[in-house]
Amino acid sequence: MKREKSRKYRVLQVLRAGSQAAFFGLFLYLFIGAHYTGQDYISSTVQRFFHFDPLLALVTLVSARLVYALFVYALITVVATLVLGRVFCGWVCPLGAVHQFSSFAFKKTKFLRPPREEKASLAWKYYILIIVLAGAVIGLDLAGYLDPFSFLTRSFAVSIFPGLAYALSGLKAGFYAVGLISAGRSISQLLENWTLNETFIQGFAVGFFFLGAVALNAWKERFWCRYLCPTGAFLGLLSRWNVLKLRIDDEKCIKCGLCTQHCETQANPYPNEKWRSGECIYCETCAAICPTAAIGFPLSGAPEKLTNVSDVNLSRRKVLLTTFLGLAAVPFFRLTPSEKRATLKLIRPPGALPEPKFLAKCVKCGQCMRACPTNGLQPALTEAGPEGIWTPMLVPKIGYCEYYCSLCTQVCPTGAIQKQTIEEKNKLKIGSAWVNKSRCIPYVLGKPCIVCEEHCPVSPKAIKLVEVETQLPDGKVVVQKAPVIDLELCTGCGICENKCPVVDDPAVYVTSVGETRSEKNRLLLQVIGEAGQPGK
Amino acid sequence: MNRRDFLRDLAVGGAVLNWAPRALAGQAAAPSKGPDLAAVEGESPYLITKEAVAALGGMKRFVGKGDRIIIKPNIGWDRTPEMAACTNPDVVKALVELAHEAGAKKVTVIDNTTNQAKRCYVRSGILDAAKAAGADMPYVDETRVKKTALKGEWLKEWDILIDVLEADKIINVPIAKHHSLCRLTMGMKNWLGALGGARNQLHQNLDRAMVDLAAFFKPSLTVLDAYRILVRNGPQGGRVSDTKLVKTVVAGTDPVAVDAMGATFFDIRPQELLYLKLAQERGLGTYELEKLRIEKRKI
Repeated sequence: MKREKSRKYRVLQVLRAGSQAAFFGLFLYLFIGAHYTGQDYISSTVQRFFHFDPLLALVTLVSARLVYALFVYALITVVATLVLGRVFCGWVCPLGAVHQFSSFAFKKTKFLRPPREEKASLAWKYYILIIVLAGAVIGLDLAGYLDPFSFLTRSFAVSIFPGLAYALSGLKAGFYAVGLISAGRSISQLLENWTLNETFIQGFAVGFFFLGAVALNAWKERFWCRYLCPTGAFLGLLSRWNVLKLRIDDEKCIKCGLCTQHCETQANPYPNEKWRSGECIYCETCAAICPTAAIGFPLSGAPEKLTNVSDVNLSRRKVLLTTFLGLAAVPFFRLTPSEKRATLKLIRPPGALPEPKFLAKCVKCGQCMRACPTNGLQPALTEAGPEGIWTPMLVPKIGYCEYYCSLCTQVCPTGAIQKQTIEEKNKLKIGSAWVNKSRCIPYVLGKPCIVCEEHCPVSPKAIKLVEVETQLPDGKVVVQKAPVIDLELCTGCGICENKCPVVDDPAVYVTSVGETRSEKNRLLLQVIGEAGQPGK
Repeated sequence: MNRRDFLRDLAVGGAVLNWAPRALAGQAAAPSKGPDLAAVEGESPYLITKEAVAALGGMKRFVGKGDRIIIKPNIGWDRTPEMAACTNPDVVKALVELAHEAGAKKVTVIDNTTNQAKRCYVRSGILDAAKAAGADMPYVDETRVKKTALKGEWLKEWDILIDVLEADKIINVPIAKHHSLCRLTMGMKNWLGALGGARNQLHQNLDRAMVDLAAFFKPSLTVLDAYRILVRNGPQGGRVSDTKLVKTVVAGTDPVAVDAMGATFFDIRPQELLYLKLAQERGLGTYELEKLRIEKRKI
């Protein structure tokens, strides 16, 4: 019998790789675009990828009980999956592309040698999905931790690009050392032009998870997509009725098993009746690798048997148990004191929803942290309780909220940070500044400073200068201008804390009290003014 | 430029600046054709700048053929021109053009900003204006500064922008603004933007720091933008009502005199400003305007 591989599917395989590269490129392009380009408003929608994600759409809708119109795009993905199967995972998903490429590299370097038949259970991602969905019912948004777009964007924003920026800085220093001044300077200009933030408190942890997820591909091909991805699981459940069904031509098949061995997602092409439509991502590998061109994906209207969707025995008991686990998990996330009382240092970006709604909507993608021009937005660890891990908070010691900037509000994919014009944003308070008189230079040293006042961006300034007397250690009394805060005017931007010359523990600092978004974390009440008029 | 040339230039430039600090200023001030100060009033910041330089005898007096020129505006803040927190972009543009016309080989506009550099460069309007006039406008980072001996009375050494150290001629282009520590920030205070390092510590002895810096940086020409000045909530303001239109540009070779004239726009007598007094005592120039030949024009 004539042995020949299918030319058609080899072409399709190349096309699929091209499609992955193109979408990954688009993702990168949009990701890099999320910064101050010279325009106050970002024209391209850098967060559009997220809107095609049906899991994020569903979880955000359910957990926050809010409809976010832009998620209509997710319906496109749903319909495409219903008709064509998990092509989204195989051809579009940029995180899938990362795993695909790294698996490929691990295979080529023989780190990864796929077994003839993989027995590992595919059920985990379904359990993860069930827990995420069950949590959402009670307002817990866990989707962001393992959703591919959130995971990839966060990893890139908080660790990969900062790492790249760090490496570029090293390269720059190297260029200088060998006298390539102009090459070094080009790197300097690029770093500033693209605003590549370098400093992240959680950079190591987030990067560790990302590299770990990539490294797992050396163990099992596309480990993430097979065993972890809740979005893939969700799409898998939808792909029972799709019209592209794998068929093996029995007359051509030589039962070599290459197709099953090299299937990227353990969809088990051979034997044909064991093929799992819910796992197949239409990467075309099996059809292209088949030495006799026996495999094809003809149109077929017949729905797949439910047990064949992924050959996972999701028995009613198991589903019920995991649902219960998802529901039971919620109270444990809510035992934190941040539920009862505002947290000192939890300064949310301007336009952030009130805390419970914010937590229900934020998918921890880190897009706002990418866009922040001062590097001030940082992933939280303990400040917002367990469900707030990796949600954004302003850390003024690292970077302040730039007065004429509202980029973070423009790039949020879910509306957890509501879009603000610059004028609107400047009416919002995100916190209040305080002077620590036991550390402030004029108060303690009796020396002039006024740096905080000079940097205060509101007009009239929220930091006023008053003359204070300081008794110095030698008993001499000096009079010096020292800062006091007008809390009516302070927006909590934190530039005072950022620029304070007392660098280790700034003598002027911002806390969350007085933030506009919270009714509980209040400071100044509307009171009747002296003239009998309501106060400001 | 290879590294050897770069280091040699740096060493020579540093040596000139360190050991013969008076030489540069002497050179610039020597051919004293024309008046000491030119103050030109008019509707167009661009035209009054050109007129002010012309009144001093033209840019050729300050810029030689093949010179590498640094133009140092105040671009410290993320503010648009009508806020009068940064130098007017048209003033910068006029100076870049004049420097090119006078034969400059390269014109670089630079400032170490306070807010995000890109925002300051773009929103001040200076990036567009400078680029349109053919200037280079790089952002400052840690590789662009060098610890340099200032030999000042208070400041012994500090990080200085390498671009400024390497330049053949420096043109200082401040804007006149209110400042709550030194009262007014103009030309002498503008040198803080040519520094790296923890500049905010300089406030603990700001007037002396300003004099030490003015003694170190020897601008061939100072052009004070007083087209729109900032009269309160300085040095960045934030409302148009914090500003006042004076529609004047003051140019001169004596940095103390230029600042002294600037003070008059705020109805402040120059001798009230400590740094001007200290600067005169140090022999950096004079604030006694009545002793100077001042050419006033209106166009």
